[in-house]
Amino acid sequence: MKTFAGFALTALVLSALAFMLGSYQTDVYRKLLLWVTLALSYNFLFGIAGQVAFSHFTFYGIGAYAMVILLFQVGLPLPLAILAGIGLCVLLALVVAIPATRLEGFYLALATLAFAQLFIVVLNEGGAVTGAAGGLANYRLPDVFGMRVTGPWYTVVIVLLLLGTQASLWRLDRSWFGRACRAVRDDPQAAQAMGINVTATRIAAYTITSAMAGVAGMVYAFVDNTVNPPIFGLENSFLLLFMVIVGGSGRHAGAIVGAILLYLLPFVLSPLIGHHHALVFGLFMVAVVLFQPKGLIGIWDGWMAKRRTVP
Amino acid sequence: MRDFVELIVGAMASGCIYALVALSYLLITRPTGVINFAVGEWSMLAAFGGFLALSRFELPYPVGMAIVIGAMVLVGWLTERMAVRPLVERGAPALAPILALLGMLVVFREIVSVGMGPDPQPVPPMFGYGRLELGLVAGSYQSFTIIVVTALVFGSAWYFFERTLAGRSFEAVAIDRRAAALMGINLRRVTALAFAASAAVAGMAGLLVSPNVSAHYMMGLPLAIQGFTALVIGGVGRVEGALLGGLILAVAEQFTVRYAPIPPGLAQGVPLVLLILFLLLRPTGLLRARESRA
Amino acid sequence: MTAAQNLSGHPDAVGECIQGGRGGELLVVKGLCKQFGGLQAVADLDLDVRVGEILGVIGPNGAGKSTTFNMIAGALAPSAGTLTFDGEVLAGLPAHAMAARGIMRTFQHNKPFVSMSVRENVMVGMHRRIQGPLWRVWAGSSATQRAERAATQRADALVEFVGLGAWRDADVATLSFGQGRLLEIARALAAEPRLMLFDEPAAGLTPAECERLSDIIRQIAGQGIAVLLIEHDMRFLMALADRIAVLNFGRKIAQGTPAEIRADDAVVQAYLGDLGAMADA
Repeated sequence: MKTFAGFALTALVLSALAFMLGSYQTDVYRKLLLWVTLALSYNFLFGIAGQVAFSHFTFYGIGAYAMVILLFQVGLPLPLAILAGIGLCVLLALVVAIPATRLEGFYLALATLAFAQLFIVVLNEGGAVTGAAGGLANYRLPDVFGMRVTGPWYTVVIVLLLLGTQASLWRLDRSWFGRACRAVRDDPQAAQAMGINVTATRIAAYTITSAMAGVAGMVYAFVDNTVNPPIFGLENSFLLLFMVIVGGSGRHAGAIVGAILLYLLPFVLSPLIGHHHALVFGLFMVAVVLFQPKGLIGIWDGWMAKRRTVP
Repeated sequence: MRDFVELIVGAMASGCIYALVALSYLLITRPTGVINFAVGEWSMLAAFGGFLALSRFELPYPVGMAIVIGAMVLVGWLTERMAVRPLVERGAPALAPILALLGMLVVFREIVSVGMGPDPQPVPPMFGYGRLELGLVAGSYQSFTIIVVTALVFGSAWYFFERTLAGRSFEAVAIDRRAAALMGINLRRVTALAFAASAAVAGMAGLLVSPNVSAHYMMGLPLAIQGFTALVIGGVGRVEGALLGGLILAVAEQFTVRYAPIPPGLAQGVPLVLLILFLLLRPTGLLRARESRA
Repeated sequence: MTAAQNLSGHPDAVGECIQGGRGGELLVVKGLCKQFGGLQAVADLDLDVRVGEILGVIGPNGAGKSTTFNMIAGALAPSAGTLTFDGEVLAGLPAHAMAARGIMRTFQHNKPFVSMSVRENVMVGMHRRIQGPLWRVWAGSSATQRAERAATQRADALVEFVGLGAWRDADVATLSFGQGRLLEIARALAAEPRLMLFDEPAAGLTPAECERLSDIIRQIAGQGIAVLLIEHDMRFLMALADRIAVLNFGRKIAQGTPAEIRADDAVVQAYLGDLGAMADA
């Protein structure tokens, strides 16, 4: 997928799939694509930049709510709402990044956890603006140039979002910035000695990935055409973390594998354990941390390496 | 006036619960540097244990309590043995045990959810539902029980750390792990003891708080957050800090709910805002930690 | 000793030759002091390092060498005194700003970036040269791609220069201590420094590795890079340095060529227990 042709082909294949699915499958497919998008950006923040944050899903929610509020309460036309939404996501990400990146390790995790909970509290108490505990519903995406973008065409939008996110992250990773993020994660003192401004690097990584989550949220707003507080709670933040770790932290492929596996697993396991798939996720998480810290991708790599050594 | 005092008593009781959870974190963090996300779930487990032992099987309180705390000691020891020790001995990065414990948080919660269902279950208080009124001071029996028990636990913890050899070895490990090991302190035993004690304290908190709020499989995380907030406010390094932080947090919370002109739902945000403020402005908390090398 | 190849075989490696200097002195340290509570670790220290010279700083344990080093590298703020680099006074700059000006350092206890390969580690060292506006990275222009390819080639040349050519793609965890030291040097050189600070580079190396190290450092200085070397190993330093400054109890007690130092009474006094080393050096 490293060339434009590769990307175009992938986009075509993923979009074609959208036209072949029934309405229930479409819903699953769309959400899968969104989870993969989130996992990719979270993987950059957590796995590559090494920041343990629980705010990713919160920015997803901020993006979603911002979009709905800007369109239907502030009454902006669609193009303006999109621009304002993106601007808001970036701005808020920056505002949170500046104090947050001063915290290390667990303190960052705690502060972002508190931030995530605070978001839910604000949503619940937001009265008419946020729709309070019930949230906002019964809206739909305004027509674009007089056409309704719906069904498989909206799925194509999500495909483009996913590929755009993947391409951006991939470029960032394969550059001095990606190396700087890894250096800061591995050894901030040595990174400083190499001329890397550790604080600026952390802020950039946090802002970019959180803004990406926000933009994904803006797209999400029209998937179920409803936004309410429970969707953006801590449970999903934990799930995102589990996806990245189980798949293989620090690797794009790992994020994709983890997201697909953990998102689709409940559908498979439902007949066996009802809603308690979180139990399986928790066990997977513990198992991966204990036995295969490189995640599923690590297992795959090991397997491929063995095959190569066989004459 | 009596109203005000009763509010104070209630706040102190809440504060004690937070303080116990904070102590629970401290007992593990000091000697091992591991942050145990799962303390809230430990409290939750104990609460359900209390439900089973005291409501379902109707055992006398002291017996039920002993069984539950005993079980928690076992749970703490097992958690360390299975999820933490292999990582520490392998030299895994510091983040690894924390992530493993996060996974355990979800596992504990789901096990309870599967086993006991999603409905809240009642847990009886130690001395029944009566009220005590001594002059100006008034409050429920449970509030006073919580305060007294917490005082006992903290008193023992203080005594343990200040006056006993085992307690000193905890401090030694906290200050410098490698040096402590070289001095012959058995790191494994200290770690196992730390986890067991932490679980027992968290369990006590769960047993004490559940008569008021019922045992519910989702009660763990809010408690864990409040406990950690108390720890950060009071000072991450000291036993007294846990108590101070808990009380300050509870008083701030209750007084905001009671007297501040903001909707009660928003008052839930108070501990969260306090946590964020302290983490940013004064991460070492109000009480300075004792001499500890970075 | 084929491992450390002659620098002229690697024109890309170390960067443009630094042309003489303005008066030759690149780093001037005046009246440097550091106090830790009641302890005066470094007092009233004057040093200067010239373009293309190797200045060795030596002294018994606790003499203040590391403290001095860290102040010059920007890791520690001085209590008093001035640091002037190429005419510019450096006042309490953070470490990354020092590096941005071309002052690079190695670490005594090697600090490689463990998640990256040898080549990638060296490419991190190039940060000050290849960083740019982030949007350019995102846009992925051909200029960025070309710069990345050039950086990769230069990294390979540097890795070759220090003798780690075969370990280009290796995981840094597989390197021996001595190899890790070489990586430290390659990484620091990647930034095209004008001043190289070596923190006890010979520590932990075998005699053969020390030889190679000396050779590399000489070649670095030959390119016009000023070198400041903190070292414990008398023998190593005497053979390598152009000038030596001797510290004791935080003060400079002697400065001069190796021959002068060998004969200096104050130095002999300070190293009373080390007369054997002095004689052999």
